[in-house]
Parts: sequence; C-alpha cells; structure tokens
Amino acid sequence: MSCTCNNHGEPNDIASRTDAIIGSVGTSRSMVIPLLQALQAEFGYLPSDALKRVYERTEIDGAQLVSVSTFYTQFRHIPLGKHQIRVCTGTACHVKGAGNVFDAFIRHLEIPEGEISTADRLFSVEKIACLGCCTLAPVVQIDEKIYGHVVPGRVKEVVDDFLQSLSEEAKEESRKAKRRAAGEVRLGMGSCCMASGSADIYKELQTASAQLGVEIAVKPVGCVGVCNKVPLIDVVSDDGSIHRYPNVKAIEIKEILHRHFKPSGYLKRMQNNILGHIDIFHTDITWNNVVWKSEQERTGLVSRFLAAQKHISTEGFGVLAPLNIDEYIAHGGFEALRKAIASPGSDIIRTILRSGLRGRGGGGFPTGRKWEIVASVGSRSKYMICNGDEGDPGAFMDRMMLESYPFRVIEGMLIAACAVGADRGIFYIRSEYPLAVTRIRTAVELCRERGFVGANIAGSDFSFGISVFEGAGAFVCGEETALIASIEGDRGFPRQRPPYPAVSGLHGLPTLVNNVETLSQVPYIVKHGAEAYGSVGTESSKGTKVFALAGKINHGGLIEVPMGISLRQIIEDIGGGVEGGRKLKAVQIGGPSGGCIPAELCDSPVDFDALTQLGAMMGSGGLVVLSEDDCMVDVARYFLSFTCDQSCGKCTFCRVGTRRMLDILNKICSGKGTAADIALLEELALNVKRSSLCGLGKTAPNPVLTTLKYFRHEYEEHAAGLCRTGTCKDMVRYVVTPDCIGCTKCAKACPVDAIPYTPYEVHTIDAEACVRCGLCIDECRYRAIRKTGLKENISEYEYSN
Amino acid sequence: MNIQINDTPVVAGENETLIEAARRAGFDIPSLCYAKGAAHKSSCMICAVKDCRTGQIIPSCTTLPTEGMRIDTLGDEVVQTRMLSLELLLSDHRADCEAPCTLVCPHGLDVERMLSCYDAGLTEAALRIIAAAFPLPDIKCISCKAPCEKACRRGTIDRAVGIRGIIREICEQGADAATDRREGEAAASGRAGFLSRLGRFTDGEKDRLKASVASPSRCLHCACAGQGGCKLREYAGRMGIKRSRYEAASVSPAMSRQCIGEGMWFEPAKCIRCGLCVYNSANGFTFRSRGFVMQVVLPDENRANIDGSLAELCPTGAIYLDKKKEKVL
Repeated sequence: MSCTCNNHGEPNDIASRTDAIIGSVGTSRSMVIPLLQALQAEFGYLPSDALKRVYERTEIDGAQLVSVSTFYTQFRHIPLGKHQIRVCTGTACHVKGAGNVFDAFIRHLEIPEGEISTADRLFSVEKIACLGCCTLAPVVQIDEKIYGHVVPGRVKEVVDDFLQSLSEEAKEESRKAKRRAAGEVRLGMGSCCMASGSADIYKELQTASAQLGVEIAVKPVGCVGVCNKVPLIDVVSDDGSIHRYPNVKAIEIKEILHRHFKPSGYLKRMQNNILGHIDIFHTDITWNNVVWKSEQERTGLVSRFLAAQKHISTEGFGVLAPLNIDEYIAHGGFEALRKAIASPGSDIIRTILRSGLRGRGGGGFPTGRKWEIVASVGSRSKYMICNGDEGDPGAFMDRMMLESYPFRVIEGMLIAACAVGADRGIFYIRSEYPLAVTRIRTAVELCRERGFVGANIAGSDFSFGISVFEGAGAFVCGEETALIASIEGDRGFPRQRPPYPAVSGLHGLPTLVNNVETLSQVPYIVKHGAEAYGSVGTESSKGTKVFALAGKINHGGLIEVPMGISLRQIIEDIGGGVEGGRKLKAVQIGGPSGGCIPAELCDSPVDFDALTQLGAMMGSGGLVVLSEDDCMVDVARYFLSFTCDQSCGKCTFCRVGTRRMLDILNKICSGKGTAADIALLEELALNVKRSSLCGLGKTAPNPVLTTLKYFRHEYEEHAAGLCRTGTCKDMVRYVVTPDCIGCTKCAKACPVDAIPYTPYEVHTIDAEACVRCGLCIDECRYRAIRKTGLKENISEYEYSN
Repeated sequence: MNIQINDTPVVAGENETLIEAARRAGFDIPSLCYAKGAAHKSSCMICAVKDCRTGQIIPSCTTLPTEGMRIDTLGDEVVQTRMLSLELLLSDHRADCEAPCTLVCPHGLDVERMLSCYDAGLTEAALRIIAAAFPLPDIKCISCKAPCEKACRRGTIDRAVGIRGIIREICEQGADAATDRREGEAAASGRAGFLSRLGRFTDGEKDRLKASVASPSRCLHCACAGQGGCKLREYAGRMGIKRSRYEAASVSPAMSRQCIGEGMWFEPAKCIRCGLCVYNSANGFTFRSRGFVMQVVLPDENRANIDGSLAELCPTGAIYLDKKKEKVL
C-alpha cells in the first residue's frame, strides 16, 4: 500500500484533496453518495487511493464503498478521455438510429474493440440513457455542447466542429449599449433550447443590440415546449405587441432586432440600414430569411401546436423567467401557499382528495390518499421528498418543470408539507440534470430570503427546510423505497412494503414522496379549488398530463394536455401527423414500463385506467410515435435491454428473468428464433410481471406483452426469417439493383469500404464487410440499394425500404 | 393475528412472518434466501405464496400477516412461480453437482472423490474408495472402455486425466497394505437426484484452468464440494426439474475458487445472489455492480471480518468449508 500520510514534505495530492472533500461533505455513512459525487467532480473518476482514504477517514466501510460505487451509473473507476462524447440512446434517438451513430463514432475515432477511449485519451465515447432532447434525435453531447440530428455521415463534421469550437472559445467581445429600449426579447432557455443553440442566440442578441446601440432587455424564460421550433424568441415591442420567431438562427437576429427596435442616433440608423440591406441582398442565406416569410407562415404551426393544450403544470409558460421570484409572485405565486397555511391541514387534504389528483410518477395512486396516511401518523418529524429522478428514456417533463417552473414545484411541495405536517424537505434530482439542480438550489435560496422556506413561513408557525439530493444514476430509484435507500447511503434496492414510506420511510420517519409533476398541479388546485380542477379530464383521471412527444412525428415537443384527449388528437392536431407522411403503426406510451398501443386503438383516451386496460400505462409521460418503418420486436427488445440494465439485481425474476427474456428477443431478432421461443418468452414475461416485487420488475414485461398482443405476427415473421422493416440487422443484407448508374456516391459514403470504387459500373456490396448502417441507402438518389432477407425463401417479400 | 393457510385457520404471532407461521403450523414452504434468525431481504421467490384476497404472488419470508389474510401455498400459480424461479436461478448456475467421470462409471466408482484423496496424498483412503466399487485385486477398469476418461472435463481443455492409470498405480502401491475391504460405502449418492451441469468452458476459462490446475492427477475436481447442504439441488430434485429450459448465458467464471479463510472457500459461479452472506457479515461480503451482472464479492481486506458460520447460511455450495478431506480422513 502506498503511503498516504503527509509527513514526508511531499504532500500527497490525492490524499490531501480527498481530505478537503471529506472535510466539506461529511463523514457519516449516509453521506457516501454526495462524497463520491464530490470526489468524481474533483478527479473526473474515483481513484482507488481516494477511496482508500475515504475508508480510512470516515464511517464508510469497504463493503459499502464497493456496493454503492458500483451500483450507480454515474460513478467511474477508470479515468475517461479529456472530452466525453455521449451518444443518447433514449427511445426517440433509438428509433432514429442512435445505434448506428454510436458505431460511427467508434469507427471514426478508431477506438479499439472493448475500449471506450481513443489511444491519445482525447475522446471517450459512451452511450447514455437519455439526454432529454428527444425532439432533436439522434442527439450527441460532447462535454457541454449538444449536437442534434446527428446521422452517421455527420460524425466527422461534429467532431471537427467541436475541436474548432475549442480553439474559438475565449474570443469574447462586449460593447456598451447606449440607450435602453422599452420592450424586451424573450428567449427560451430550457435544456432543449440550449441544445439547439439558444446560448448562441443569447450571445448574438447581446452583440446585435450592442451594434444597434440599443440596450434591449433579453429575458431568458423557461421551456416553451415547442421543442421542434426552437430556438424560439418572442419580441415584445415598445407598444406591447408580441412577435414570435421560431427556429431563429444567429444570423437572423440582427435583422429581427432592427425591425423592432430603432437604433440610437441618426448616423447609426443609416449605417445599420445600409448594412442591413447589403446583408439581405448579398448573402445566400437571406433568401430563406425571416423577413420574406409571412407572420402567419412562421407562427401558424406553433399556434396549432399550442392550441389543443392546456396549461396547469406549465402555467405561465413562455412568460415567466424561471428564477424571477417577484414575477412569480406578481403572477399569483404563493397565493395558494398562503391559503394552505391559513387553513387546517385536513381541509387541504380534502380538497386534494376531491380534486381527484393522482400521482403522475407512473402508478396513479390517489395523491390525497397518500397525504391522508402521512398526516394520520403521529410523529415529531416527517419528511417530504419531491421525486425528480426521471430516468425513463424518452421523458423529460420533470426536468423541464424543475428548470422552468422551480417556484411552482417548490410551492406545491410547501403546500403538501404544510398539509401533512412535514418539516424536512428533499428534492431528489438526477445528477444528469445539472441545470435543474442549479435552478432548484437557487430558487430555494430565493424562497428562503423571502421567508417562504425556513422557520415560521409567511409569519405562521409552519417551518420547513429544503435540501437537494442528487441521484447518481439508477432508474430503479424512481421507486420510492429505492429512492429512500439511496438517500440513506445504500444501494438502490427497493424495500418490502408494507410498511409504506408514508408510515415508516426515510430514517424510519413518515415520508411523503410525490412526483415533480404531481406537485406542480397542487398550487392550481388549492388556488382555484377542487371543482375547477376536476372539470378538466375524465371520470377517473382529472386535470392535465405533461407528455414528451417524440419519435416519428412532425412536430415533437413538450406538451400539456387535458386528460381524456385521444392519442390520435395528440398525434394529428398537436404533433401534425407522422413524419414523412408515413403511416402510423403504434404509439409507445409510458416508456419501459408502458406498452405499445396499435394505430387502430389510438382513439382511446389518455386516462390512467383506459391505458392500463390496453396493457400499457400512463407511466411518467414519454410518448413515442412509431411509423410503419419501425420494427415492433426491436422496440420491445430496446425497452427490455433498458430495464434489464437498470434492474437492481435483488430478486430472481427481475435479475435473471428479464435477462433471459432479452436473450430470447436477441435470438428472435437475429433470425434464429422459433415458435417455441415466442411461447417461452410469453410465459416468462407473464411470470416476471406476476412475481416481481417492485414496480420496475412488475412493469418491465409490458413492452413485450403489448407487442405480443397487438403485433404477434411480427414475432412470427421474425421466427420465419423476415424483419419487414429491415431494422434487425442480422436478418437483412444490402443489395444493389440494376437501377444503379455507377455514380460512386455510395462507395464514398460507406464507412467500412464495403462498396468498391468502380465508376460507371453497377456497384457491388461486400456482405462480409457491410455493417448495414444505411448510409449508402441515404446517399443513393436512384433507390438502387435495397434491403432484402437473408433466407432464400423470403427474398420475395417486399421490404419497406 | 388470525389468518388462513390453505383454508386452515392459523394464529400468527407478533412480528412473525408468513413463512414462520406456516412452518410452525406444519405447512411446507421451501426457501433459499431466508434462514431463521438471520438478516435477509426477499430475493429468490422460492417461498412464493398467493394472497387470495388480492390475487398477488408474495414472498412469504418477509410478508407480515394481516388480520383475515387468506394464503394459498399449493396452487398452480404458486407452484409455477417456484418452478420458474428455480429454473431461472439454475440457468445462471455454472456448476456441476456431480463430476461427469463419477456419473458415467459403470461400476459406480466415485472417481472424483478417489482422485481428491490421491491428490492429497491419501493413497490408502483412495484405495478404500476403489475397493468399495469393485473388490480388489480384480480391477474392473482393465477391460473397460473408460467412459470416465471420455467424459472428463479436462479432456476439453487439453487431455483427459489418465484415470485408469491412476487407479492401477494406487492399487499397486496399496497391494501390500492391509486394506479394509468393507463394502457398502458405494457410489455417489446424488446420481438419482437433480444434476446441474456446467456446460462448455469458454476459451478464457480453458486457459485459466490449464494454467492454474496442477494437482498430481491434473483433475479439475468438478464435483460440487457443497453437495451436502445444497438447497438449490434439493428443491430442484423435489420439484422434478430436469434441466433449465433457458439457454445459459452466464458471466460467472466457472470453477473459479477463492480461498477466503482457513479451509473456507468461495465459488462465485454457484452463488444465487441471495445476499445472506452480505447481510450477515459486517464489512465482509458485499454486492458489486447491479442487475444480471451483479456479483457477491469479498474484498481482500475484508477477509478478517468473516467466519465459518456464513458457510452454514449459504443455501448453495458457493461458500463452503473444506470438509471433503475431513470426511475422507
């Protein structure tokens, strides 16, 4: 063992840095996760010397360190490359070919098999569950920079662009503005907006306003939900009129500002006019530029996207700045809290009960009932936890709400705490959502300054403190007992219920756990009354639900709809129909716990019970549209590989059962499956559902069971050797048809040189070398490359290329 | 607390779990991850019973009875859950219950045990085992086609153990010694019961075993040393399971044994991850990773923190005391 003491003159770097972290974080067993997070932030990974130091200097023992540091995805035991490339493999990205993108990065960067970093340790590439930018799929994140719509052919471009941006950084110039203009520019700054360039737009707004010599108030607002039209800015003119510009580019900013704000001084105005004209007439880009499009054409789509929606959780969207507490108060914020504080807890609980609010985290348990139980337990101290551990690939509404409406969620939490008599609050937020964590921290601080958090809130005898706990990456921690275990510094193993956390939860105290979205509905109910809230929705499902609409859809985004709306309305009226005019095949709702609802049943309403009857479930709110180009067996396999990876491993049925199901699905997708395998899969799926102990295991088979129920013929076709969509790579080969004119475009595009460069001859594809990435098909203008089955007898089937 | 088990009224005691109440009342419920008096969490689901009021399958080892509960311990769903749970565990259980050589010997010679004695230098004990199978000096192996050598796992790595040669060597050496020709201690006991099979070695495993196994006989000693108290085998046999229907794809390294204390061994490929050793040792065994690849491990520096009682708790042959030698001696 190397010496770790500091007595030799040479201070041991890792040891002293570790000691400093231990000093600031703490030494108790329950601090293990924050401690490991801080160490990783310091060193980039968990060096074994640092872990040894933790063992020596804290209550945390070796067994706990191994157990916890290997359970959560966030922790790394080996150093990664200098820059991390994260390829999102969330649902939306998966159906748009994220697997091929990942392979392309590995190939382009020449990363050896089994490794994750380049030889020079400049880059490492890894898959990540979901970046929450589903509307930009496939998405890749390099360090802090996010690239959307990355196809395998753009990989080189992306890497080059990133390297270039590194050298360009630091070239910042700022000019003083001269006149303060009335009006303002509002710019969405949610994670999606940032991903599609809002940060650049923000910078450009500053620069352009400086050039105009006008100080324009640029106000970053929360997520506006129209993710497919971002970056989106609203320009509020001097006269108060609002003009909305979707999909703005940095280059257009100057023109937009010029149109709405008069430059200061005659000379500057002249200059800008002339420059403006030159810009317009002499650059190519201007032909597609904003000014030539009618207002209606530009904003029509956005208005339609928003028309069928109803905003309860996202009240004040596009208007409220996320962290402006005065504005929140001016919009009626904390009125509901004052009302709650002034009335007895039992009244508030009755209101929530009457409103019919059900938990939005997935299960749909009546929220009022949960509150009632917690309130009924006599205890000196109680916990209130806001569950923001949104791990579902393809869902990002919790993130959006925490980022964009932090005060609203906090208010909901305060009301709940006040009603049930809780005094300690914890926000449990995934560490993958750094923006949400920062915003909540800041918002809590602002609330504390105004007396909404802390002792004697709003002058009453209600006291409530709030802290933030960062989840370290485990889907199972969305389950409330696993979440509690992780706060206590354990592996995220769910616990046997009863006792329910409502009776005995965190540190043995009664604990109320509510989802972010549930809490964000609470202020509305308290403020407007149970009846007003209950008027929205269906008999058994009240209010609204926020969905992340993505997949093969024209206009994806974050939507809030009244319960009872049909899936078809969402797809057609809000989403503008299936992408590329293809036929709708199914809607995947509820992510890995949910199921696939076939097109013919898409008239069913969005309602907890109706969805459960169909074999799916509301889940946390991912809504992925699948077209006739998607293979349902592959979709089932995708979700199962997710749950299998996320299983905590405690119980047999989930740990081994999901893995065996995945084995069978892999076999079926590789063309080696038989009818007996399908029967075995179904039997196993039913048993895993029946005999698992927590929500993860109980719902994990849903994607398989629903596809078996509604798309059994696809499984049977696979067993016979046919994947009609050509998604299952092992079952197809690529062939060149006689339509080929020998243009060599495909040969140039092929990343593995499987197509020999033979100009003016019909090309050939080396089946051995071909990785079936689809680049050649995308490149070919003559539709001369087609997918076909491997087995002789099925080549006659039409592939839907 | 008044409950009904299979329609029979049972009074459950304070803080008594279902399995305890049921067993006390004479109902048989199998269990792997539960041991009376030991800390545990539900894992295996062999102890599944059905709550007739909700229709749910629940683990009887952690569920506390509630007033008026009606429990079914025998129904089809219950049996199916237990069977499947066993099959799933067995599909990830890379181990032989019995050595292939022993299984195929037409004379019922416990070849593997005999070789253990030979490797330990206990020639006399080895001779006794041989003598139990066929009366010496009539060595039946001379005319035998030696299915034992054909079945030998070592043969899949490099070449089979020369079993017949070793038998002859032992017999010649022991010819003068006064051998106890007592009969009756015949062949391996488990032949009739359930047999877990290891399957094929991976290339990596072959290399490892080739390099690491260097006993005088070159025998890999495939037979499970935990034979005596393996509950997994017992229940599989009792429920009539022949073999798992799932194609085994395991990440556990076969035949990787680790000495974890004096005469105490740990063999991860036989572990069913029930966690009894984890929950009942302080800073001893722990879990590593999660999901299917989750393992039970004992960090080197924690070896001092465990004792032999864990071998008693382990429901399979994953943690065992080296009693084999004692038995022979």
